[in-house]
Amino acid sequence: MPYLLILPVVLVMAAILGYPLYSLGRLSLQQYGLFELVQHKGKYIGLANFRSVLHDQVFWHTLERTIVFTFANVGLTMVIGVLLGLLLVRVSTWVRIALTSALVLVWSMPQVVAVEVWQWMTNYQNGVISYVLTELHVGDYYHHDWYGSTFSQLSLVTALIVWGAVPFVAITTYAALSQVPRELIEAAEIDGARSWRVFFDVTVPILKPVLLILTSLSILWDFAVFTQPFLLIGQPHLHPGNYLMGVYLYETGYLGTDFGRGAAISVLMLIVVAVLASFWVRRMVKQDPAT
Amino acid sequence: MRLRIIAAASIVAVLGVVAATASAGTSRQTANKLTVWLQVDAQSGWPDLVAAANQQFQADHPGWTVDVQYQNWGDHLQKFDATIAANTSPDVIEMGNTEMVKYMAAGAFADISSFKGNFANSANWLAGLAKSGTYGGKLYGVPYYAGSRVVTYRTDLYQKAGIKAAPTSLAQFMTDAKKLAATNAKVKGFSPVYSAGTDWYFAMAFVYDFGGSIATTHAGKWVGSLDSKKSIAGLTAWKNFWQATSKASPTSDENNPAPYNVYSQGTAASIIGPGWFSCCVGNKYKTTTAQFVMPSHTPNKPMPGFLGGSDLAVPAGSSNKALAADWIKDFTSTSNEKGLQAKGNIPNATNLLGTSVNERAAARSWFVPAAKHWVDVENGNILRNMLSEILTGKLTVAQAAQSASANITSVLNQS
Repeated sequence: MPYLLILPVVLVMAAILGYPLYSLGRLSLQQYGLFELVQHKGKYIGLANFRSVLHDQVFWHTLERTIVFTFANVGLTMVIGVLLGLLLVRVSTWVRIALTSALVLVWSMPQVVAVEVWQWMTNYQNGVISYVLTELHVGDYYHHDWYGSTFSQLSLVTALIVWGAVPFVAITTYAALSQVPRELIEAAEIDGARSWRVFFDVTVPILKPVLLILTSLSILWDFAVFTQPFLLIGQPHLHPGNYLMGVYLYETGYLGTDFGRGAAISVLMLIVVAVLASFWVRRMVKQDPAT
Repeated sequence: MRLRIIAAASIVAVLGVVAATASAGTSRQTANKLTVWLQVDAQSGWPDLVAAANQQFQADHPGWTVDVQYQNWGDHLQKFDATIAANTSPDVIEMGNTEMVKYMAAGAFADISSFKGNFANSANWLAGLAKSGTYGGKLYGVPYYAGSRVVTYRTDLYQKAGIKAAPTSLAQFMTDAKKLAATNAKVKGFSPVYSAGTDWYFAMAFVYDFGGSIATTHAGKWVGSLDSKKSIAGLTAWKNFWQATSKASPTSDENNPAPYNVYSQGTAASIIGPGWFSCCVGNKYKTTTAQFVMPSHTPNKPMPGFLGGSDLAVPAGSSNKALAADWIKDFTSTSNEKGLQAKGNIPNATNLLGTSVNERAAARSWFVPAAKHWVDVENGNILRNMLSEILTGKLTVAQAAQSASANITSVLNQS
């Protein structure tokens, strides 16, 4: 009976995850370019795609850049999100409603629209950010190129992603905080614990399962992110020196019409992200003697 | 609770399947409908010519409709690849002349040699364009139109700066630009000659003007040649010209912002780009806009310009190949080609050529290396990256050219 109950889920998972994964694996072992696409038939070449990707300097540099990028994005998202969540508990009702509405608005903005807005704001010719900074006498930002270097390009992408991801973390954290029993905090305070002690010894352990899920999800999203860097930096400005993994995969597989090699890159990405996530999950679980 | 989650999950799954089939279904051909992919240039520039072709086609084939879907240069190939995979290819597709080789080599297009006689002026097609649509002696692409790059300028501003005639040499153009900068010093961010920092079509014109090239063949292999002495001289001249004349961002490209928008906002005395840029200079400057041919560093000669162009091809997966060829015939009729000419383009045949500034500019032109993998050099932004490295001072001209050249060699020689 319990197996029967889980059957629908297994079937759905097999259909929407299992089959694509199988196809991906098969494609990664094939030579599959434009010629094969027209023929609708690939040629089996074993692990040649993997060998070629692993011998490519671009892959290793992109991987390194993406890991640093992921840690920066996940770190900023979690810190700002949790701080906002904590703030939501303290403020008065109407401030909380205003803040929550703002967060939900940000959250509900489609990624492509958000990119467009950011592009307008950072526009070289007449971007509002350059204008405001100049008017505030922060410096002369007239005709400032916000996309002038790889670092500033990826910083803008980071700002955009963190901005979009914070609401989910903040609202979820706020919801989880309402589960922290008031008595526990009061007891700790009576015992003379300072507020940071209360936070780390009472609040964090109770929040842990939620933080664990949020962090893992953020790692998964940020490691494979595509829409924001691709659209914000823009195709004409993408080159191996500023690729993130998602972009590298697209440029190789789709633009270069080398679908087999692209599939091999996806499989490798899957492995890396599984390692990153499991490392994090195990660390979190280990810290908690109760589990 | 659990039941609810299962129910929610299955709804999500069902929605996912619905969404997937819905998006795949939009471009599927239905009976008696010809699907045509044209670039947005036709939508904004000459929708009347498209309508004329559709009308003619529908008169010849009662009961048939034509569904013209407009595409962007940036992603139309990826979309096309997806339709090949899904067996939903359009019946006609517009391809840039630099994009053709790779697809012809892969067998993505139908051989339409047998229809050649039906196309108007096919005996006199522009040699360069006809070549881009031919592979292994067979015809896969019908020349649609070509375009050269010219200087579009404000006659009022040139007059105010005391410039009496169009410059006849690069050096004179630089001097004129200085005058323009001086008389418009009050306008913030004013460019005497606006061109984007990574407009490689413009930068390569200097390379070819100085006798350089992008790549050459040597013993059956492609060799990048941007690091040759002549190419470097061209790149250096371009850098000097750009820095003296354009206030664009060093990393900007020629699509964003569109140069004609910079122009219509009054912050440029001239812009570099295709002849049809005159379409969009804004009502305010309509009567004070004219064009001239970009001058060479050798006096009284035009600088070689990029001869861009489009072909119309019939994808191998189309089930209406003869009808598709018939639509192409209607669309490239003599009257339509003359209509394209009237909009500032170069018509597809020599017997239709006039003496417009665009056509005069085409007298000296350059074209990208005819390599199967050229489109990968374009997509990999090797040239753009080199140009922004030069302008931002990250690398010297020689260093940037050397690294780009090595990259080009390796990309062009892929199997």
